[in-house]
Amino acid sequence: MAMKNVKSAHFRQIDHQIKAINQRNGTIILPSPEAYDKFPWTRRHFAKKPAEGYFVWVKKETGVPLTTCVTIASPKIQQNLINLLVVEKNVKVKANVVCNAAKNNLYGIHQAKGKLILKEGAVLIYNQFHQWGKNDFVNPNYEFILGKNSQLTYTYKNLLPPKELKLKTIIHAKKGASCQLTTTINGIKTKISVEEGIFLEGKDSRGILQLRLVGRKESQIKAASKIVAQKAGFGHLDCQGLLIDKKAVIDLIPRLICQNPKAQLTHEASIGKISDQQLNYLRSRGLSEKEAINLIVSGFLEI
Amino acid sequence: MTLLRIKNLKVKVEGKKILKGVNWEIQPGEIQALLGPNASGKSTLAAAIAGIPQYQITGGEILFENKNITQLVPEERVKLGIVLGWQSPPAIKGVKLSRFLDRIAKVKIKNERVLNPKLLKRELNVNFSGGEKKMAELSQILALKPKLVIFDEIDSGLDIKRLAKAAKIIKNKLIKKGVAVLLITHWGQILQFLKPQITNVMVKGKIVCREKNYQKILKTIKKYGYEKCKKCPFPAN
Repeated sequence: MAMKNVKSAHFRQIDHQIKAINQRNGTIILPSPEAYDKFPWTRRHFAKKPAEGYFVWVKKETGVPLTTCVTIASPKIQQNLINLLVVEKNVKVKANVVCNAAKNNLYGIHQAKGKLILKEGAVLIYNQFHQWGKNDFVNPNYEFILGKNSQLTYTYKNLLPPKELKLKTIIHAKKGASCQLTTTINGIKTKISVEEGIFLEGKDSRGILQLRLVGRKESQIKAASKIVAQKAGFGHLDCQGLLIDKKAVIDLIPRLICQNPKAQLTHEASIGKISDQQLNYLRSRGLSEKEAINLIVSGFLEI
Repeated sequence: MTLLRIKNLKVKVEGKKILKGVNWEIQPGEIQALLGPNASGKSTLAAAIAGIPQYQITGGEILFENKNITQLVPEERVKLGIVLGWQSPPAIKGVKLSRFLDRIAKVKIKNERVLNPKLLKRELNVNFSGGEKKMAELSQILALKPKLVIFDEIDSGLDIKRLAKAAKIIKNKLIKKGVAVLLITHWGQILQFLKPQITNVMVKGKIVCREKNYQKILKTIKKYGYEKCKKCPFPAN
């Protein structure tokens, strides 16, 4: 959905060049280096002056989804984005974030370090879509700070993965904050490392972490997911893998760390394969074997 | 022209001989029934006709409209018009029934007449009751515009009201439109609604009886069980 609307994005960058910044009511959108100079308070969140990336400060609710799009379009580009998104107190915002390669064979590197801050009572629905070429290297590293009673719904979807993906997501949930992190990756001839963690740092904080990984065509996938309850919160971890290729490997490492006796943490984890019965059933409805596998995979990733 | 003809069909499943020389045929628009005790080979025959790969054909041939389809993959058989209604269809997570019907449909069907609209929004066969599964099967079969439908135990898991509804749909949407139907049934409940022209009995991998009067067969089985069929002095072959 967001992929189709990239040209009207509020922030659009191709390679290293910012193509468009369309200001949105109640929101300040700037290149990160400019924000570093203009708003001294941002320096607490940027370790040093960024070279590229975007700064988004959502001050008011507008009802229009915020969209950003960062693309690699030329060969051998190395992007190194430092992003900062701040949602003010009690503001609700939906963001559709696209990062992609325009072609399949650009040997690009996309590194993105992001900090996303939700102030008290803020609500963020953050949909991130990735689509890469077969020789790209991609390394997103995101940290979410969820203020008191804020809510985050973060969906990361990658149906066309790069040659290598290192995905790191850490969420800090303060008192009464809640989050749902859903990661779906269709691994095709790729090496993937996923590191995700939800830290329940405040009383009554809640976190649900869902992971769906598909291993196709010699993919090597390793996913370490954890929920750490420091205070009396609730957490649930749901990791599932679907292994399709005989030469693919999925390695799931779910962890629950409870540091408070009043916290409740649960988990479920499984790695399965497509059964002959499912394949036969779909083929007896007229689908070819390949179409049947694709339908089962798309259903598995649909959560 | 005979719609489907099976000649001396022998089928192995996981190395075990299940069908041991089946001869059978059905004409366009004909309704036939196939009865038999558990493990007699009824579902194996259905799967072999549908082309399920794990059912290894070791002898004989299957002809559909005079074309030899013995080696054809299942999806090609569906294109020709052969459709199997599964006894226990598997769940496909994340795929809504409505989306699946749109995907497979050769013809547009008013599914609401067959199915509860709420069922269309649910994931295919996920936590469906026995009855819901059968009605979902029926809606898929209608969407595939078949020439021959094999219903494997459509009457199991259906209460009498739903069985009557399913029979009415089969009669109006399939039989009246010239579709041939094979009803595989263990107890024969569906037969009182659909009255087959020929009823077959399968025992130990062979069709041992072909009879026009289905009530006669049901009475015999009810009274004596399939033991009587095993000892029948007038076998079909």
